[in-house]
Amino acid sequence: MASSGTRYVIVGASAAGMAAAEAIRATDRSGSVTVFSEEPDLPYFRPLIPFLISGRKSAADMALMGQGPYRGAGIDVRIDSRVDRIDSRAQTVEIHNGERLPYDRLLIATGSSPYIPPEIAGTDTEGVFALRTLADARAAERRVAGTRHAVMLGGGMLNLKASFALLERGLQVTLVVKSPQVLSQLMEPDDAALIRDALNKAGLKIETGAGAVEILSKGRGVSGVLLDDGRTLDCEMVCIGKGVQPNVAGIDPSDIRIDRGVVVDRFTASNAADIFAAGDVAVTFDPITGGRIVTGLWTNAVDMGRCAGYNMAGKPTEYGGTFGILNATQVADVAFVSMGIVHTTGRDYETHAHGSRGAYRKLVFSSDGTRLVGVLLVGDISRAGMYRFLIKEGKPVAKIKSHIIDHTLHYGHFVCPDTGKG
Amino acid sequence: MSEPKEIFVRLDRCMGCHSCELACAVEHSGSKSLYGAISEQPRPKPRVYVESVSKTPVPVVCRHCEDAPCMHACIAGAIRRTEDGVVITQSDRCIGCWTCVMVCPYGVIGRHLEEHKAYRCDRCPDREIPACVGACPTRALVYRSVTDFSRHTRKTASAQMLGTQGG
Repeated sequence: MASSGTRYVIVGASAAGMAAAEAIRATDRSGSVTVFSEEPDLPYFRPLIPFLISGRKSAADMALMGQGPYRGAGIDVRIDSRVDRIDSRAQTVEIHNGERLPYDRLLIATGSSPYIPPEIAGTDTEGVFALRTLADARAAERRVAGTRHAVMLGGGMLNLKASFALLERGLQVTLVVKSPQVLSQLMEPDDAALIRDALNKAGLKIETGAGAVEILSKGRGVSGVLLDDGRTLDCEMVCIGKGVQPNVAGIDPSDIRIDRGVVVDRFTASNAADIFAAGDVAVTFDPITGGRIVTGLWTNAVDMGRCAGYNMAGKPTEYGGTFGILNATQVADVAFVSMGIVHTTGRDYETHAHGSRGAYRKLVFSSDGTRLVGVLLVGDISRAGMYRFLIKEGKPVAKIKSHIIDHTLHYGHFVCPDTGKG
Repeated sequence: MSEPKEIFVRLDRCMGCHSCELACAVEHSGSKSLYGAISEQPRPKPRVYVESVSKTPVPVVCRHCEDAPCMHACIAGAIRRTEDGVVITQSDRCIGCWTCVMVCPYGVIGRHLEEHKAYRCDRCPDREIPACVGACPTRALVYRSVTDFSRHTRKTASAQMLGTQGG
C-alpha cells in the first residue's frame, strides 16, 4: 500500500480520470487526490451530451459526481485548469496560470479530441461542430433555432446519436458517409441492412459514398456543404464525426513514450517513473489479436482508469486490454451490439450469419473454429455479455458452440454439463 | 451491521416449476397481485430466469457482483450499489443504451422494450425475503449470508458423508 500522504495528481476529469480517482480513494483513504480539467464544467457523463441538444436532459442531469459508482469523498476537482507541462524529473505539473503542483503519482487521462480532416476546407466556419464537450453541445443547441437542415459528416456512433437529437428537434438531417454504409467501423455493409432501414424509417437522409470538399458560408456562418461529386447541400449546421485522436499535447515525447497515444505496460505505467496513463489517450492492447490499439470508448476508459488508480495506490492490478470494437446502443428502434472481430470479408474466420425478420446476428470464430472472436447482434441482443466474456477469455467453445451459433446460450451452460438431451 | 445476505441457488433441489419467475414478475408489477399482474400492460417481467440444460433446470439470477461490470460500464450513471450491497438500476437515469447487457457475464439484465429501459434483480427492497426465494417450494433458492451458506453446505456435506459411512 502507498504510505499515507501520497499526492496523486490526475490530468483529465472524464471517464478514466474520475474512475481512477475513485479507485485511489477506495484503496488509499489518506492521500490527496487532485484532478485537473481544462473544461469549464464539473465532470459529467460525456456520452450523454446529445441529450442536451434533444432537450431530454439538462447539464445538471449529466453530472457525474455522486452518481453511479462515483461517490468517493475528498476528490479535489479543479475545472478551468489546463495542465501545460509535466516535469517528470521535478515531479510537478504546471497549470496554465503558472501554478506548479508536485505529485508522487501522476495519471495522464487527457482523453481525445475530434479528428478534423484537414482536406475539408472551411471547418472553422461558425455553425460547424465536432461534439465532444458539454460546451460544444451547448453551442450546437443554440444553433438549432436558426437551422432548417443539418449535414453530418461521418457515419459513426457519435454522429448517429447527434442526428437523432437533431431529428427530435424537428430538423431535417442528412448524414454523409464516404463508406458504402453507415457504422462501417462496427459492421460490414451487408450486416447493416436492418439498421439502415431503421434509420430511413426514422427520417434520416443518408448519402453514402460521398465526402465533403468544402464547407460554404455566408452571413451567419454555414450555408452549405460542397460534396466531392459536385453537388451542394444547403444547410445551416454541420457536425463532424470522423473519429478521435489522443490528446498528447503538453507531453514531451523525449520524456514520455508516445506512439499515437501514451504507451503503457500491462500495469498502466508509462516509461517515466510514477507516471501512468489510461483512457483514450493511452495505447492499450487487444486481447484477441494482441495488437496495440487506442480506443475512444467511455466503458474502456473507465475500466482502464480504475486499473490505473489501483496501481497508483499500490495495489498491483494487471489490465486485461480491450476490444477495439465494443459497442452497444439502439438506433431508432433497433438495438445492436458489436464486439471483437466483426469485419470478416476476405479474412480467414469461421463465420455464422443468420437473419430473420427484425433480427440479425453474426458469430465469428477463429479459423479453426475453436474460439469465439467476435459477435454482432442486431435486434435481439439478449445475454450479449456472455459472448463478451467468451471472447475476452479466449475460452475453448466446442461444447457450447451450437448454442452460440443459435444464440440460445445462457448461464446454465456454464454451470451444468450439456449431455445433448433436450 | 450484520453480514449482507445473498440469493443462493441449490441446483440439486430445483424442479423447474418456475414459481420464482412468477413471484418475481408479480412483485415487480403495479398491483403486486397475480390477478392484477396478468392484465397489466406492459406485462410485468421476471428478473430471475429458470434456464434448462439437457432438461436440468438452472435458475439464474443477478449476483450483484462485488466488482459489478454493469455498474462501471454504465455510460449514464444509472447503476449504483446500495448500502446493503445490492446493485440497482435507476430507471429514471437509464437511457436504454444496453451497455450493461453487453458486459454482464451472467446474461441477467433484461430489456424493457416498451419503456426502453434495462431492468434487473433489485432483491425486492420492500420485502424481508426476496419474492423468488419466498416462492420456491423446494428451497432451491435460499437467502443467506455467505458465511451462513457455506457453513450450512459444509454441515450438509459432512452429514451426508457420515450417512454413507453408516456413522
